[in-house]
Amino acid sequence: MDINVRKRSEVQVVQLRGQLRMGPAVDSLRQTMEEAVGAGDTRFVINLSEVPMIDSSGIGLLVRLLASTKQRGGSIKLLQPSKFAIQTLRLVGVLNLFEVYDAEDTAVQSFS
Amino acid sequence: MKRGLMSSKTDGSNDEMRELLHLTIPAKSEAVSSVTDAIGETLTGLDVPEQKRLEICLAVQEAVVNGVVHGCANDPSKMVTCQLRCDGDGRIVIVVTDPGPGFNLKSIADPKQGENLYADHGRGVYLIRELMDEVHFERGGSEIRMWKY
Repeated sequence: MDINVRKRSEVQVVQLRGQLRMGPAVDSLRQTMEEAVGAGDTRFVINLSEVPMIDSSGIGLLVRLLASTKQRGGSIKLLQPSKFAIQTLRLVGVLNLFEVYDAEDTAVQSFS
Repeated sequence: MKRGLMSSKTDGSNDEMRELLHLTIPAKSEAVSSVTDAIGETLTGLDVPEQKRLEICLAVQEAVVNGVVHGCANDPSKMVTCQLRCDGDGRIVIVVTDPGPGFNLKSIADPKQGENLYADHGRGVYLIRELMDEVHFERGGSEIRMWKY
C-alpha cells in the first residue's frame, strides 16, 4: 500500500492507495499513524478513494485510530470511501462511528 | 504460494464442481493477500461481476486470515490451503483449511453489540457469513466451506 501524508492547516490528509488488509498494508498505516499521533497530530482525513477493499484488520485499525485520536481531542474522518468499503463498514456496524465526506475541502474544514 | 490449477471433465451435468484453484501458503500474514489476489484474478477471468467478486474476495481474505492467525498461530512452518471450485451454473464454493484444532463457534461474540463495536478485532466470521450465501464450518472449525450462488 502506498501512503502519502500532507498537511492542510492543522489537519493531516492521509492518501492511501491499495487494499487496506492484514499484512504490510495495515502494518504500514498503523506505523504511519502512530508516528503522527506520537508527534502530536490528532486531526486526520483519510482518503480512501483508491482503496477498493478494507478487511476486518483494516476496519479494526480505523476504529482504534478513531478512538485514540478522539481521546486526544481530535478525530479521523473518511474521505470518498468506495461503494464496497462503505458496504463493508456498514455491514459490521461501524460506518456511523465515522464522519464521511465526498470532498477534501469539506472534510478539512469540518475540523474548524 | 504453491498453486495447482486443475479441471476435470464433466459429464455435462451443471451440478458437477470443477476445481479451478488449489493454493497452499505458509501461515504468515504477508502471504494472505496472495491467496485473495489469485482468487480475484480467477474470478475476473470467469467474468464474475465486480460486486460479487469483491464479496467473495473479502470473505476469502477473512477466512485465510483466520486460518493463519487462529488455526496456525502465525507459525510459518504450518500451511493453510484454499480451494476454489465452480459448477456450470456459476455457483462457487471455496474451502479454506488449516491444521489447527478448530474453535467453538458459539464463543464468537457479536461484533455489533455493545463495546464489541469499538473492538479492533472479532469481525472476520461475521463478515464471512454476511458476504457469502452459505457457510459451513467443518472439522471443528478448522475447515470452512463458503458458497456464493
